[in-house]
Amino acid sequence: MSDYKPKIIAFVCNWCSYAGADKAGGKKLVYAPNVKLIRVMCSGRVDPQFAMEAFRKGADGVMVLGCHPGDCHYRSGNIKAFNRFSIFQRMLAQFGIEKERFKLDWVGAGEGERFQITANEMTETIKRLGPLSIRGFVESEVA
Amino acid sequence: MSEKKSIVFLCNCGNNISDFMELDALSQWAANREDVLLVERHNLLCSPDGRKHFQEVLQEHDAERVIIGACSPKMHEKTFQTLAEELGINISTIHMANIREQCGWVTADKKDATEKAKELIRGAIQRSGLAEDLERRTMEVNTDVLIIGGGIAGIETALCLARAGRKTYIVERDIAIGGFIIKTEEVAPNMECSPCVLAPRLSEINDSKNIEVITNAEVKSVIGFFGNFTAAIHQKARAVEDSCIGCEACFEVCPVDVESRFHHGLGTHKAIHTLFPGSVPAAAAIDKNRCRHYTDGSCIACAEICPFGSVNFEQKDREREIQVGSVVIATGFDVIDPSSNPNLGYKTMEDVYTLSEFERIASSNGPYGGDIRMKNGRSPDRIAVIHCTDVMFEKNGSPSCTPLMNMIALKVGEYVHKKIPGAEVFNVHAGMVMAGPKETAYLNKIRDKHTRLIECTDMTTVTLKQDDRIVMQGAGLEPIEVDMVVLATSMKPSEGTAALAELLHLELDENGYILPDHELLHQTGSSLDGIYIAGCAVGPCNMGTAVTRGHAAAGDILSKLVPGRHIELEIMTSVIDEKVCIGCKMCISVCPYKAVNYDEQKHICQVNEVICRGCGTCTATCPSGASKARHFTDDQIYAEIGGILHE
Repeated sequence: MSDYKPKIIAFVCNWCSYAGADKAGGKKLVYAPNVKLIRVMCSGRVDPQFAMEAFRKGADGVMVLGCHPGDCHYRSGNIKAFNRFSIFQRMLAQFGIEKERFKLDWVGAGEGERFQITANEMTETIKRLGPLSIRGFVESEVA
Repeated sequence: MSEKKSIVFLCNCGNNISDFMELDALSQWAANREDVLLVERHNLLCSPDGRKHFQEVLQEHDAERVIIGACSPKMHEKTFQTLAEELGINISTIHMANIREQCGWVTADKKDATEKAKELIRGAIQRSGLAEDLERRTMEVNTDVLIIGGGIAGIETALCLARAGRKTYIVERDIAIGGFIIKTEEVAPNMECSPCVLAPRLSEINDSKNIEVITNAEVKSVIGFFGNFTAAIHQKARAVEDSCIGCEACFEVCPVDVESRFHHGLGTHKAIHTLFPGSVPAAAAIDKNRCRHYTDGSCIACAEICPFGSVNFEQKDREREIQVGSVVIATGFDVIDPSSNPNLGYKTMEDVYTLSEFERIASSNGPYGGDIRMKNGRSPDRIAVIHCTDVMFEKNGSPSCTPLMNMIALKVGEYVHKKIPGAEVFNVHAGMVMAGPKETAYLNKIRDKHTRLIECTDMTTVTLKQDDRIVMQGAGLEPIEVDMVVLATSMKPSEGTAALAELLHLELDENGYILPDHELLHQTGSSLDGIYIAGCAVGPCNMGTAVTRGHAAAGDILSKLVPGRHIELEIMTSVIDEKVCIGCKMCISVCPYKAVNYDEQKHICQVNEVICRGCGTCTATCPSGASKARHFTDDQIYAEIGGILHE
């Protein structure tokens, strides 16, 4: 498993977490190349279907990163995302996907280090879990 | 793969990108793709030479989409969108792949960085294939302003705007403007005469053609959006026409005495009254609940004596509708009622007053003409001022305003020493915190006179008992006998703040004040564009800060609502397909800006794209797929996911 390169998709809000990832870049904080970012305007824009689509298309892990509670550029989109994905994470197990393969977290615009740590930790988690092998409901649908 | 052909620009960024990945290999890979028309390398695409080159390439090739592998879109997306727009190319054509901050600079191995760059570019190509044209939209603005509340903050906001030529409406609940300041004798720390501070401002308002004062009135609804609000105003009849100059001839003949709100119930006025001499407007008003013409029809004395024929018992309430571009909330504060704590004897003992009542007692325009006296008519020799009364009430207090209240409470000593030589003032406190150097200097000045500071270890233990004099006890205090007690009760949001916030769809903070857009960067803006907050409506403050907040709000408005100028609206709004919408209203429940409305006739939801700021939360919530977030559509994001994960 040592050369296993997990694929991780992170949906990041434009104002905080995308800027936080840029900050990590500006400071040249190296992290695992496995994490690829998709920018959305707000973490509230992230539909659970996006995460399912990422898993379906081969992602081994999915993250949604938004502004810290209270900092949302759109006032409360991050809280909507939190509510939505708290339920989503519980449902993942029903699809045969370990709940650790999904992570919702907050990264502020100035938090380059936090972004680096978050990306590396997620990569380690997914490396430990290994490639996604979907069982049950989703498997039959994909087949 | 999409059929549309892309031009892929790859930027070396000097060597900021080329040093971190194999750009030659990346170029080669891109050039070999069927969906790529051509690959253009440049050493520094954002440089003047690079920009020129960028436009030349776009003009030469009829590209349907443009991918720029370079820095973060936060750096230069707007730059390249603008360059494209100059050539008549829609901005939605431009897509950036962030191969610098989020790829080259954070990846240890050049090969890994190159592979990641391919994935990011693939994602951008796939996503861009589904881009729909974005339309820049602008709207002509109404530059008039509605100010709710005619205290010092509202007055200063209005003057600031009117001097710049803006039409301004001040809607005031009371029968005249002036707010709290006019009820104050002197303002700290320089102890200026407050009616004197206010008078020239009132006369400027009176003379200004740009300011319309609507008193005895309340705002009933505000609908619309920044640059285009419609406000409904209910103005109660005052039974006196504008021709009244406030000569007070009718006061002499009116037989009814009414407890005066202006004096906080300490004095009376007649059923026909003005708030104070020289008020704006000058016209008197009749208290219909007390006037005998209305209660039993027995008296028309005021109408008979009025030299101008201004009394009009038949005057009707008015419903008005005004169009404005923005709204300023300057509704001020109220004072916490200390009667909920029986230990403080408020309303049960004689000569126990709140700070604002004491201010009326000490005021030359007050009920006793500025003569500080007790109920028995004698001057008090010993007065206690109890600070930090906030802690004595569980819910109502706002501990943050303690330094503010300390400053105001210390004025009691100043008034007493001026008016009753030799009288003693005891300021009982739980730690005298002052707001700044000027306030601290004032404290030191006051202490030099006859004002004593006495620290109590636990303010919740302070108790007053009526004996021959009032005996004050409390933890760490020797019992003190005094003639009069002043309770430094602090501020709370003015009555009606919560209702107004609900009307305007604004949030309140934990103390019930209007929540600002940003505590530091936009304290006088509310969470809604075009609705501003001045004075104490955003939180307790002194007069200086109240005025500054008014000026700040006015400045912000003047910078944005300029006559003849159009405001740019958000481009990437959400839009609802009315053929698909089932009218479940889930979008309405999640929208932070109340930008979604329900159409009762069509039974569907609709986005007001002037209010929408494009967060896309409604689109993510819509269970029927009717809502689309422009430029971040579901299909575009699915395409980007696919592009990143698959060749």
